Amino acid sequence: MPLSGRKKTDALASLALQSQLGEEIRFRDRLRRLARENKTAVVSAALILVMALAAVFAPLLTPYGEKDMDLLNRLSPPSAAHLLGTDEGGRDVLARLLYGARISLLVGVVPALLSLLLGALLGVIAGYRGGWADALIMRAADITLAFPSMLLTMVVMYALGGGIGNVFLTLTLVNWANVARVVRAQTLQLKNSEFAESARITGVPSRVIMRRHILPNCLPTLLVLFTLNIPASILTESSLSFLGLGVQPPYASWGLMINTGRQYLFNAPWLCFVPGAAIMLIVLAFNFLGNGLMDVLDPRQQKS
Amino acid sequence: MKKWLSLLLVLALFLGSAAAESVEPGLLRAAVRYDISTMDVAETTDNYLIPLNVMDRLFETRLVDGKAQVLNSLAADYSVSEDGRTYRFTLRDGVVFSNGSPLTASDVQFSFERLLKVGRQNTDIPLEIEGGEALLKGEADSLKGFQVEDDTRFTITLTEPNAGFTAELSSPAMSIVDAETMAQVTGFGKVPADTIGSGPYIVTEWVANDHYTLVQNERYWGPEPSVKKVIIRVEPDAGTQNLKFQSGELDLIDLESLDSAIVASVYKTGMADRIVSTPRVGVIFMMMNEENEFLKDVRVRRAIGMAVNVDAVIQGVFMGDAIREKGIIPTGIWGHNDALEGFAYDPEGARKLLAEAGYADGQIHFEISMDTSSSTAVQLICASVSQNLEAVGIRAEIVSYEHSAWLAHRGTGKMDSFMATWSMDYNDPANVMYTFFGSEANSKGRSLNYADTDIIHRVAAARAIVDDAARMQEYQALEEKLIQEDAAWIPLCTNLHLYCMGDRVASFAPHWAGFSDFYAADVVLK
Amino acid sequence: MLRTLAQRLVQAVIVLAGVMLLIFVMLRIVPGNPVETLMGEHANQETISRVSEEMGLDQPLHIQFFRYLSSALQGDFGTSFTLGKPVSRLLRSAFVNTLILALFAALFAWIIGIGCGVLAAVTKNRLPDRIFTGFSLLGISLPVFMAAMFLQYVFAFRLHWLPISGADSWTGFILPGIALGWNSAGQIAQMTRVTLLETLQEDYIDTALAKGLSPARTVVRHALRNAMLPVLTMMAIQLSGLLSGAVITETVFSLNGLGRLMVQAISGRDIPLLQGTALFTTGIVILGSLAADCLYAVLDPRIRKGG
Repeated sequence: MPLSGRKKTDALASLALQSQLGEEIRFRDRLRRLARENKTAVVSAALILVMALAAVFAPLLTPYGEKDMDLLNRLSPPSAAHLLGTDEGGRDVLARLLYGARISLLVGVVPALLSLLLGALLGVIAGYRGGWADALIMRAADITLAFPSMLLTMVVMYALGGGIGNVFLTLTLVNWANVARVVRAQTLQLKNSEFAESARITGVPSRVIMRRHILPNCLPTLLVLFTLNIPASILTESSLSFLGLGVQPPYASWGLMINTGRQYLFNAPWLCFVPGAAIMLIVLAFNFLGNGLMDVLDPRQQKS
Repeated sequence: MKKWLSLLLVLALFLGSAAAESVEPGLLRAAVRYDISTMDVAETTDNYLIPLNVMDRLFETRLVDGKAQVLNSLAADYSVSEDGRTYRFTLRDGVVFSNGSPLTASDVQFSFERLLKVGRQNTDIPLEIEGGEALLKGEADSLKGFQVEDDTRFTITLTEPNAGFTAELSSPAMSIVDAETMAQVTGFGKVPADTIGSGPYIVTEWVANDHYTLVQNERYWGPEPSVKKVIIRVEPDAGTQNLKFQSGELDLIDLESLDSAIVASVYKTGMADRIVSTPRVGVIFMMMNEENEFLKDVRVRRAIGMAVNVDAVIQGVFMGDAIREKGIIPTGIWGHNDALEGFAYDPEGARKLLAEAGYADGQIHFEISMDTSSSTAVQLICASVSQNLEAVGIRAEIVSYEHSAWLAHRGTGKMDSFMATWSMDYNDPANVMYTFFGSEANSKGRSLNYADTDIIHRVAAARAIVDDAARMQEYQALEEKLIQEDAAWIPLCTNLHLYCMGDRVASFAPHWAGFSDFYAADVVLK
Repeated sequence: MLRTLAQRLVQAVIVLAGVMLLIFVMLRIVPGNPVETLMGEHANQETISRVSEEMGLDQPLHIQFFRYLSSALQGDFGTSFTLGKPVSRLLRSAFVNTLILALFAALFAWIIGIGCGVLAAVTKNRLPDRIFTGFSLLGISLPVFMAAMFLQYVFAFRLHWLPISGADSWTGFILPGIALGWNSAGQIAQMTRVTLLETLQEDYIDTALAKGLSPARTVVRHALRNAMLPVLTMMAIQLSGLLSGAVITETVFSLNGLGRLMVQAISGRDIPLLQGTALFTTGIVILGSLAADCLYAVLDPRIRKGG
């Protein structure tokens, strides 16, 4: 978990200030600025793209399947036939790395997206409607945030059983509350802004105000949250694999690969280090990108 | 910067010297991965480490020249009536519990009755005694079939003859506790000081999730053990255990939690002469649901038996440390049949058989339900079997369940198939045959709806055959029917349970049935 | 200020009640029968239903819940199914270990985190900055069990400086503390660096420097003090997270802490133990965020003045 929940909330709440000014957000301009000034962010974005492409085209890049076992050829070191060696079941590590990228990237992206949708929806409703809806949603968020996140994840995973679909669901359940809080704070500010006020006076229904005026203004914040949630989810999945609750063998995810490779650390170090390096790279890349986005979208940074 | 470095160096030296302490003579340091939940056999069927070392039984099963034999322990002598129902025992003289109280026939009676009064675990064996059912249900307050003659003599009458009874009495379940102590203490099984037995050790300490300690029982009636004190640590991570053993902080390591490839490359190369092993006395088997739309066809089940490449499992997963099994009664158990045919690896034949059954085009698909708490080996076997089946056109997808969920799923009788090991509790075929194929109630979850009630009744009845030879013959006939005709159980292999002894250990004999629990008295220190 | 605090306390109670109810309901959804799990592979069905009855698990859910609630309010959290000991005693002994571990981790995170952050900030874009930043990024991106195994192998197994596992002496907590604290250290270092760089651009720093204060003293006396506010809040939050247990670190280093207790409770379907640990750890997290709020209120002059 790269940024603690509250800090993220604080930093993002300040993002809200800019939108409140009612000034047009030149979103594209800012992205252009990011591309021009922040080399790390650009390299990160490129790295993510490369990994995503490798994952998608995995079958073209390796002749082996992720599940193809060869019991008589276990733990063989890297060679011409197996560029990154084989694992405890005699499966090609490179193939598992590539196919595992699919799952690890999905584990990062899908729950981040789902929790974003759910959190944004509930956050806007809570902020805009106020009253009992606000109280209900915010108490639910409080309860979610009060749970030690590992406990919540474990209980839900046990309730649902392992497997990728359930990993998505669980991580969504864990992450929505933070998003909802941020969006609610922003909505509260936007609700009283001039353009929302005038729209209300002219009789525009609140559903439309929320959709047309409030949500679009939250987008930059949401984008940052999204990129920061991805690495957190990838790391959480690797912890779940440690407990045997994540993606299930014979399928591969990077977290699962590190975890099964753990016991071979001294005999076949590549089993642990290869996916470990992959996870570190992707987590760093998303973090750099997220921080880069935060920099260009944050008004405090703008003036300097 | 330099100052810092030197400070660090001093600190390192100080800590380094602390680590190299010498070990107390007579101390054995071992580790387990999971803490026990109780020391009371009335509450558990798998936490036997304390009962094995702290308590005694009437008989003890030991390996003699590689064969499991039932030897007298607390029982000095016994005789059986002609109808095979009544056993008359004489206890060994002068045995006392670790608190000095003498061990008498009424303690034995108390111990057996207690299992039924508590009524939780290990009730099967005392239930065979006359009046057991009534005691369990609370309709009586003592066992009708248990008659105490005097302090050392008593008779036990069974409801039905059971030739394996003395073997059953050697099970850790039948540990003898002190009736007098039990009347005074409240913490038996939970509090070390209250957990009294007559065995070679006394338990003095149990820190939950951390460690427990045994020390020698000065009043023990048997030979003095070489190990005077045992500290067993709870080390949940197998890798950590491995490091600790290699750095000399453990005197004994159970290699089962390590992958055989590591055992082969680290232990068998550098420490080959220190490895001890014993067969696990439990067949790794595959069970298939006879109500599944594909698996109900015996030809499909047989084809699966032929498609599984057991030799690849033995060579690949166990690196050769396993014995091919062809039946239900494992190697090393009385009644094991070496001549059984089993299933020969024949993927071509399997494909033909499937075509004959009308499944030539790969229509068959089902689930192999895997328990995530099972060993790395069993998980690899699942994956390997799934691949073997794919080669003959069967899609068998592995689905993982966490242990509790797996048990619940199996209990519904709706599980398609699973892979498991059955470890024998005592040296008698009834233990496995009856559990899986002996009652209609068990058949739902245990044998996934094995349906032949005729066979079920015969398996149940076989327990009562008094004549050993006739009984063995019946079990072997039943086994042959279940395997060769019904393909109700696909046997794979029995793996060897490997241990490695540390520098301080001269010899070690693992439990006869390959349990992870061991007799500390069977360790001889240098 | 007091009113806000009272409000937060009431909220905390509501949240705690919600957590209890949620845990209770979830445990009933989790597939797997607690008694069946407890009794293991060799138990028969009859016994299982009899034992369920004895344990009161055959009662309707709401009755079970109120029974639990009333005994919990009297301070009795029941007896663990799987470890057979009173839950309160298990929690106490596990918490001691978790507390020590958390303190070691926090100490490491704070000293190294702030240290790295400051040194990186004052050497901005030069080699030391890159090294310190690299170290903190490693902490953020490394899965904790890799860090744990690496430290265990190098410093305990190879160099014999520290014990491989166990809580026999305080030295046993050093490596797990570092493994656990590295991630927090990374976060703190990052934040210290950013806030410090921002503060260093403020006018009063120039004034201080112009007055002839040495750069080092300026950083410590003026800049750091102002940069610490968000860092302190983060530290409070992190501490409560560390105190709620760290299952992976505890497993690798064989420490009996809250995290392992929690896993044991869930996988054993140990209802009393899970309810106890959940309540306890959630309580800590709530207290932690309460403390962070108070800290913020006390330290931030704007909030203090504004009331």
